[in-house]
Amino acid sequence: MSDLDSNQNRRSFLKYLLSTSVVGFLASVLYPIVSYLNPPKQNEVEVSSVLAGKISDFEKDSGKIVRFGNKPVLVIRTEKDEFKALSAVCTHLDCTVQYKKEMGLIWCACHNGKYDLNGKNVSGPPPRPLDIYQVNLQGENIFVSKKA
Amino acid sequence: MKKIIFFTFTIFLLAGYSLLNGKTPESSDQCFVCHEQLGGVADQFKKDIHFQKGVSCAGCHGGDSRSDDMEKAMSKSAGFLGIPKGDDISLRCANCHEKKEMMQKYGSHLPTNQLELLKASVHGKLSTNGKEKIIQCITCHNAHGIVSVKNPASPVYPLNIPNTCGKCHSNAKFMQTYNPSLAVDQVAKYRTSVHGMRNAKGDPKPAECASCHGSHGIRATKDTKSQVYALNIPETCSKCHSDAQYMAGYKIPTDQYAKYAISVHGKALLEKHDVGAPACNSCHGNHGATPPGVESISKVCGTCHALNADLFSSSPHKQAFDKEKLPECETCHSNHGIMPATKAMLGVGKDAVCSKCHTETKSTKGYFVAKKMRSYIDSLDTSEELALKLINDAEQKGMEISETKFKLRDAHQAKLEARTMVHSFSEQKFKDVVVGKGLSVTSASIVEAKEAVDNYFFRRYGLLVSVLIISLLSFALYLYIKQIEKKQAEKQS
Amino acid sequence: MKKLFKDAYDYLDERFHLEDLVHFMGKKYVPVHSHSIWYYFGGVSLFFFIVQVVTGILLLFYYKAGPDLAFESIQYIMSKVQFGWLIRSIHGWAANLFILAAVIHMFSVYFEKAYRKPRELTWITGMLMLFLGMGFGFSGYLLPWNELAFFATKVGSDIAGAVPIVGEPIKILMRGGPDVTGATLSRLFGFHVALFPGIFTVMLGIHLLLIQRQGISEPMHFAHLPQKEKKTMPFFPNFILRDLLLWLMMLNLLAILAVFFPAELGHKADAFGSAPAGIKPEWYFLFMFQSLKYLPAHILFIEGEVLGILLFGAAFALWLIVPFWDRKTARGEQNKLITYIGIFVIMFIIVLTILGWVV
Repeated sequence: MSDLDSNQNRRSFLKYLLSTSVVGFLASVLYPIVSYLNPPKQNEVEVSSVLAGKISDFEKDSGKIVRFGNKPVLVIRTEKDEFKALSAVCTHLDCTVQYKKEMGLIWCACHNGKYDLNGKNVSGPPPRPLDIYQVNLQGENIFVSKKA
Repeated sequence: MKKIIFFTFTIFLLAGYSLLNGKTPESSDQCFVCHEQLGGVADQFKKDIHFQKGVSCAGCHGGDSRSDDMEKAMSKSAGFLGIPKGDDISLRCANCHEKKEMMQKYGSHLPTNQLELLKASVHGKLSTNGKEKIIQCITCHNAHGIVSVKNPASPVYPLNIPNTCGKCHSNAKFMQTYNPSLAVDQVAKYRTSVHGMRNAKGDPKPAECASCHGSHGIRATKDTKSQVYALNIPETCSKCHSDAQYMAGYKIPTDQYAKYAISVHGKALLEKHDVGAPACNSCHGNHGATPPGVESISKVCGTCHALNADLFSSSPHKQAFDKEKLPECETCHSNHGIMPATKAMLGVGKDAVCSKCHTETKSTKGYFVAKKMRSYIDSLDTSEELALKLINDAEQKGMEISETKFKLRDAHQAKLEARTMVHSFSEQKFKDVVVGKGLSVTSASIVEAKEAVDNYFFRRYGLLVSVLIISLLSFALYLYIKQIEKKQAEKQS
Repeated sequence: MKKLFKDAYDYLDERFHLEDLVHFMGKKYVPVHSHSIWYYFGGVSLFFFIVQVVTGILLLFYYKAGPDLAFESIQYIMSKVQFGWLIRSIHGWAANLFILAAVIHMFSVYFEKAYRKPRELTWITGMLMLFLGMGFGFSGYLLPWNELAFFATKVGSDIAGAVPIVGEPIKILMRGGPDVTGATLSRLFGFHVALFPGIFTVMLGIHLLLIQRQGISEPMHFAHLPQKEKKTMPFFPNFILRDLLLWLMMLNLLAILAVFFPAELGHKADAFGSAPAGIKPEWYFLFMFQSLKYLPAHILFIEGEVLGILLFGAAFALWLIVPFWDRKTARGEQNKLITYIGIFVIMFIIVLTILGWVV
């Protein structure tokens, strides 16, 4: 009698163990999968083309640094209301360049390197011009992409 | 018959005489006989080295110089060419000057590649009318009064070269037809240079046009084979300036090239082939080559290092340096052998330039500021190193941390900016860059990198939990199988 | 709860006659003998394949094929997507373990000579699936579009290109052009996620169907045993549950490997960059890669490499059709030669793989 009891006990315990561990197992498999499917906050990766912002984000005659993959890109809205995008990495010692309104030039703070708005190095130590990126306007949005 | 024999004999005799004498008896060169009476070119030709070596008019103009019959001597059938025109002029010269044997016959050991060089040169390539090149041999060497380069009367004697070249190159109207954007003030500038002034005083050793540009094979400055192409300039200058023997009388050092070659500028130009890096002429000027004076050093360096120069000029050091008559940049950075600026230059340590003037007992304010500035940059370095180490650590653990790495670029930038800002010699401005820009970035990166490392350990705990759960399930399943099989065994028995 | 299950079962049984299936499975037996352990590797391979399908589909949600985006999207998966690193690492590890399990499964079948009549087709579909698995590995390797993958694909397709006559067209077909470019990436992506899985599924269907239909192969010595001495266990539930237990352990193994040795990404491929040092193919190609290296430049009148490729081709072909030329086993006799060949092949593969790894 007691043997049968303990046998039954063991069986119900096993059932309990099996069902709880199956639930735990499902949880530990599904949790990563569900979290994986949950879209991350940052937008999708779109490195061939990056949304630099809206036209209204840019004042006339100003520039802004935009992250393009692992590289900074300088997007400029010129006085003549054109948009230009250039690599913001100075060709001299890899500082980040900026648009200098009063000079109408791209300027590197580290050694006073200057580039014109077409990226050509015009003064100071930079040995090479800046790489040019392509700018596309879609409605209000400004997209920057690598030049083909 | 007798007449013929006699005539032949005379010819041989004359020929023999001329060979022995090395000079042409005027009587046999009938061209000269007549033209001497006419005066003009023949007079010039008398001084000509060719005339003296026995080359007759016919050597260049063709025809039969033995005949005194003008009709015959200057007939086409005798090979008379008249006045060579255009490119034919140089070809006539090359007719002999290209041939080694021919030149040896006249006892000359001149090189024989002048026309070849000329053809490859900018003068031998350019043409305005499409028919002939700009320059023929006679443009520089004269036509009928050609003398040896070593002869002070030659237009290509070192003392005469600047004027010879200047005939065209200082003539704005002439140059406009060929190269309107080329300056025409080279000779004027040259005359202000040390080279030019010595040249004017009659010293043939200092550089003239051909010393740097070459003679026959002059190429455009942008031609990579040119001796004055940016990459080749230091070597061109060093041909004389590093030659102690040649420079013996001038009492200036000859180690500039050796120093330059290992300097930050020399390495950029000669090793990295960065043509934007300064060569000799960038500081000394080219045609007006002169050592910059104490006053002008910061201006010269400031053409590239503008920010540094600006900061320096408005710093308290400006006045102090002026008072002590110290050359501005050179005092700390030296001249030809400028080394990359490192933080070792800053502070009060052994290698620090500040301690040249500022010590614990002398000019003490600067001493303490320098010490402080150095401590800022040291802490930025340590902090950046730590950030890099942590990022690397996180990467090694398989964590994606490229964004933090991207951010850390700013620390690098701050360090470079600090190198400039140090020239303000203001503790506050320096601190703004190093601490405000650099340290804030590195500390943020350190936090992010630490988070990534923490996240790595979170993965481990997560793994532990799930492994435990799966193991538990496996164990339960194992027991279940045992149970089933026990049941089956019971059933069978 | 119980009633709900029973209702559902009855509902389905009524329409699809599930009872028949359960009855059929219950009557299937798996032979029990000293080499029974090898029976599990087929199931283990299946498990890894299922893992691949699941993680592969998950990766597809974020992966973007194309030279501009492939690398970046994987970087995104690894850093931004929650558990993206886990999914990718498991995909990478399960791929390797699948090949390993399938190779063990294949050799166990070979040495047991289970390919003999009537299971020739099971053997062939299995072999084809193994080849496909290697194809999966080769095509999947390029998808992260990193330096190592780029050059490994270049070398790999170059080797294929060395085959006389058909090599060049195959190479072009593989690369989608004369060089490894973005076109190659799109192409191999297509192979990896559409073409190969499609064929694989058909093969797997046939393979599993045949096993269910023909039952589990008995070892040769069973033929001489009296019915009573043949030890067996029911396929369902005993064998299935044991298989399941093994699957759970494998899942644990995968999780541990993925956490401790996550998949790396390296540097983005640059067609104009120089090849990084130490490009090696995946380990299951290593023995072929290494033996090609040892061949002299010329053997008689043909290039050593070409000869090597042809020899490997012939060897694989012979291996594939072993059920048809192994007459002795088909007659029910012991064929020692087959065993010796098998041992030689295993030794060869092990030695050259080690050499390839170390050298």
